[in-house]
Amino acid sequence: MATAALAHAPAHKHHTSTGLDSTKIAIWAFIGSECFFFASLISTYLIYKGRSLVGPFPHEAWTNPATGEVMKPILNIPVTSFSAFVLLMSSLTMVLAHSAVLRGDRKFSKIWLLSTAALGATFLGMQAFEFTSFVHEGLTISTNLFGSTFFVLTGFHGAHVAAGVLWLVTLFFIDNKRGLGPRDAINVDVCALYWHFVDVVWIAIFALVYLIK
Amino acid sequence: MASIVQPPSVVRHQARYEKGLLSWLATTDHKRIGQLYLYTSLVWFLVGGLEALFIRSQLWSPNGRLVTAETYNQLFTMHGTTMVFLVIMPFSAAFFNFLIPLQIGARDVAFPRLNAFSYWVFLLGGVFMNVSWLLHAAPDAGWFGYAPLTTKAYSPGLNIDFWVLGLQILGVSSLAAAFNFITTIINLRAPGMSFMRMPIFTWMSFVTQFLLALSFPIITVAVTFLMFDRFYGTNFYTIAAGADPLLWQHLFWLFGHPEVYILILPAFGLVSEVLPVFSRKPLFGYNVMVYSGMLIAFLGFGVWAHHMFAVGMGPVADSAFSVMTMLIAIPTGVKIFNWLGTLWGGTLRFTTAMKFGIALIALFTIGGISGVMHASPPSDLQQTDSYFIVAHFHYVLFGGSMMGLFAGMYFYYPKITGRMMSETLGTVHFWLTFIGMNLTFFPMHFLGLTGMPRRTWTYDANQGWEFNNRLATVGAFMIGAATLLFVYNWFKSMRSGAPAGNDPWGGATLEWSIPSPPPDYNFAEIPTVTSRTPLWHGDPGPGPATYPAPFTPVQPRTAAQLGITMPTPTVKPLIAAMGLGVAFTGVISHKNLFLILAGAAIFVGTLYNWLLTPLEPEHH
Amino acid sequence: MTGHHRARWSRFVALAPWLAVALAACSGEPNSIFGAHSQFGHDVDLLTRRLLYLGIAVFVLVETLLVFAIFKFRKHEGNTAARQTHGNTTLEITWTFIPAVILAFIAIPSVQTIFRTQGEAPAGALTIQVIGHQWWWEFRYPEYNITTANEVYVPVGRAVNFELRTNDVLHSFWIPQVSGKRDLISNHTNHLWFTPDSVGAYNGFCAEFCGASHANMRFKVFAVSAGQFAEYVAHQQTGPVFPLALDTTKAAKGAKGAPAAAPATVPPTPAQLATGTWPLDQLPRWVVPATPIPDGLADTMPADAARGAAIFKTAPCIACHTVQGVSAGIIGPNLTHVGSRTTIASGLYPNDHAHLVAWIKNAPEMKPGSAMMALGQSAMGAGGLTDQQIADIAAYLSALK
Repeated sequence: MATAALAHAPAHKHHTSTGLDSTKIAIWAFIGSECFFFASLISTYLIYKGRSLVGPFPHEAWTNPATGEVMKPILNIPVTSFSAFVLLMSSLTMVLAHSAVLRGDRKFSKIWLLSTAALGATFLGMQAFEFTSFVHEGLTISTNLFGSTFFVLTGFHGAHVAAGVLWLVTLFFIDNKRGLGPRDAINVDVCALYWHFVDVVWIAIFALVYLIK
Repeated sequence: MASIVQPPSVVRHQARYEKGLLSWLATTDHKRIGQLYLYTSLVWFLVGGLEALFIRSQLWSPNGRLVTAETYNQLFTMHGTTMVFLVIMPFSAAFFNFLIPLQIGARDVAFPRLNAFSYWVFLLGGVFMNVSWLLHAAPDAGWFGYAPLTTKAYSPGLNIDFWVLGLQILGVSSLAAAFNFITTIINLRAPGMSFMRMPIFTWMSFVTQFLLALSFPIITVAVTFLMFDRFYGTNFYTIAAGADPLLWQHLFWLFGHPEVYILILPAFGLVSEVLPVFSRKPLFGYNVMVYSGMLIAFLGFGVWAHHMFAVGMGPVADSAFSVMTMLIAIPTGVKIFNWLGTLWGGTLRFTTAMKFGIALIALFTIGGISGVMHASPPSDLQQTDSYFIVAHFHYVLFGGSMMGLFAGMYFYYPKITGRMMSETLGTVHFWLTFIGMNLTFFPMHFLGLTGMPRRTWTYDANQGWEFNNRLATVGAFMIGAATLLFVYNWFKSMRSGAPAGNDPWGGATLEWSIPSPPPDYNFAEIPTVTSRTPLWHGDPGPGPATYPAPFTPVQPRTAAQLGITMPTPTVKPLIAAMGLGVAFTGVISHKNLFLILAGAAIFVGTLYNWLLTPLEPEHH
Repeated sequence: MTGHHRARWSRFVALAPWLAVALAACSGEPNSIFGAHSQFGHDVDLLTRRLLYLGIAVFVLVETLLVFAIFKFRKHEGNTAARQTHGNTTLEITWTFIPAVILAFIAIPSVQTIFRTQGEAPAGALTIQVIGHQWWWEFRYPEYNITTANEVYVPVGRAVNFELRTNDVLHSFWIPQVSGKRDLISNHTNHLWFTPDSVGAYNGFCAEFCGASHANMRFKVFAVSAGQFAEYVAHQQTGPVFPLALDTTKAAKGAKGAPAAAPATVPPTPAQLATGTWPLDQLPRWVVPATPIPDGLADTMPADAARGAAIFKTAPCIACHTVQGVSAGIIGPNLTHVGSRTTIASGLYPNDHAHLVAWIKNAPEMKPGSAMMALGQSAMGAGGLTDQQIADIAAYLSALK
């Protein structure tokens, strides 16, 4: 995808109308598109909010009329707040990684790239834990409108985080093998833009799904 | 510049991809990719046209029984889906690919391999969707696929699975291309080419790319919901779980309305290139044409629910969308007047390209007028879901988009092939198409006004509909004949058309400054641009006395001779697309996990390899 | 070259008178939207005509300018140099402003009409519940406790308020000659109201693609006088006309193997036959379906309604259909007074013995996708109904006036 490939630092830069690398412009176009993707998912969640015919519900308890079973509100705000914090911190380490690459600090570029990946993986781990406990408590993707909208929205977000982790790990391995220097900063920059975007989407989801009743 | 010495391995690798089938499979050249899109779209045009002829034949008489109701529903669904996604969009893409780098003075697009990938995925999507015919399980719920009819409860077969998965594949192709062209147009313009000096086709295409990038995610979400409902039992459109069918409609039309501007703006751009050249004066109101294009795109995201006036949204919503829709008629109408202004005072030469350009003005006006009529909800409650709507959108899509695309094809044929198309055959093609088109679609206005509903397999006798249906059927066959003539002209002229030089028509913009067909590097030296019409130098002049303009053939130098490094051809985009194909085939074959994983592995593996390989060979 | 442009010019000139004639002719067509047999229809009609005339005016203006330009500015001896204009700000403003004004002439009456016609139905409106099914129409009058199918009677001069629901997928309720349409949306209740202003028989169509037999999902609307409507309601409220009391004293036993002789029956009274329905011989031609019967389904053997009544009581029919006092199925249309309807199969075939027989024999072949299974022996084999049984049931249904 990059005109400047990752295998070797490019010998020369192509002339561009803006002075910016084409990859950077492309990632912004991509992010713009992704905004509409997540906006559609979030809108659907909000439209169907409060319209499930059966529980479990996110913020209220529900008694199953057939069995008499009482289901607690299923969202766990404290735990999710922590995972949100983890993801937020990963944006910080991402910034540090980019800065290290820019100044050619190979030791710290590796540390921060790996940290970002690790924090991202931690977030994913906590998401996996949340999903499995929900299923255990009776909320699946097909239980009700909430189950469908919640799992699909957060699931797609998680998939985006996973893709980002894969990207970070790849960058780490390249850094480990031949080093990432200032000439490679554009690739780390583009990864950072993507990573921050994914983080911002989570802030929106966390606010609209978890915090706002 | 001294010529570059390539290492032997690179020379061997490149030679393998110089000629023959492999050169097409491994191409990253935007000009070749453009031709691939063009020929593929032509095939789908004939397929979609055949579907139309079956439809029209079935509707020749009341209570026709040429095809069963089930088959008819597949025919009209595939006709619409094919013409929108597999014909008009990729014909436009053919021009984006071939023309944009030439018009902005670039050597290629920003991401040539991604460009090839877009094409192969498009090919995959079209084939995937049409394979359903072989199983007599073609999609059958309309091109708009309203829930809950498309849910598993009411469409248990494979038909809608093909539709849903096919659309997802095509979405990948369109999105990748949009990112590519947005970057190309922003970043690869020749020195001196500010945005307001860009050719108008590039401008309209630029706006279109934003529409694509922002609207396709919405349909991706809508279709993903349907896919998950059908495959994993989610409840997005499950009535029993309290779902709202209007969710599908809102999401679909939030995509669907920008989509119609995606379908028309490139054609508008092509006509805006053609008219000035054959009027020998610049485009009238270039600035306004640019701003109106941007305004149409922006407002286009705010009118979607005018497709839903009959669903009972309430008077406030109805009124709001009605007013917004009427508003969007203004920048659209302004374009018509600016084209008239372009013709006015000119010295008009009626080549086939010009005829088609003028036809767009005449016919899109009719479609635009019926469109404004739909904008009034109370009146629309009679018009919607009747043949009056069918008349409207065929006037804007055939009379608008296709006429513009034909104008572009006749205009740019010499640049693509180096030869001239037969003007005689072109004239016959034009008149047959123009008359046939009007004969087919004008009577449909009357069918709608006299109460004939649309998407109907058959209609009863004694309703007063037979005569107009017969006119429409005759017209459809005329269009069919005309199209076959066009295809014949296209291929015959490649072998026996008069050779064309750089600039057969006396054009204004950069693409006419290089050989026909252009060498792989496009421009020996990237030009510096100082005006909107670089070749006219302020005065178009009378133009060539005869077409093509006389020229002295010159053998262009090779890239190596000029010291220009060209990208290495590669089959990785093709293989990555094939990986996707394998994965999607796995999904539709009862979720065959092996195929899905194998396909994903091929896709991801190839992608990794491709991303880690430089585009161009290294310098030594 | 000149003949060329004359041809193009004459094409546009030839179009214009055709337009005017065609428009005039439109109003006389069977399902014309200019029929407007209700106040709602008239409101919409006015708006549509205004749109049409404005549209035609714009069409004539633009096409005339275009044709004029083609003619006048073609390259010829009198025109060899093009005027190098780049634009004209005054013109741009003018042709932005004038269309905006024209659109205001459309927007304002549109918004006014929207609010007028989408407001609450007038007090005292007759509520009719419409439930769409794949592919037939169920109609209920809650005020009168009536359930019928595929035909709806409304009194002239009284507002009728349709409550629209669907049992399955999306449909749309459209009577072109009377009013605009309204969709039937799952999990929603929509409303459409109008006041019929003249006696008439009208065609109704489903106008939202709903699957295999979307084209076959039709209905009939009869706007009748208040008196006739009262008669209709009274009749529908009574039980089935066909007498259930059989005169068993005169029953004869048939020879072995021959069908049982028909038990004698008590004929219906004149009051029972006062159905209030539209006389079959007074139906306009376009309201009578002309759908052909598929080969092999029709037959003309003699049939007996009383025998049919007896067979019906244990036939598969009772699982899906309601005949008041006899069966209580709710999957298919209510058949209590099916004999007095003008069509069967949701407006697809005329309601007569031959069509009933064909329908019962093989409904899916008569109407693709029909939920009613084929009941004849050619389709079902030995377990199906015999041709004689089907004929008898058909006779029974025809007698259920």
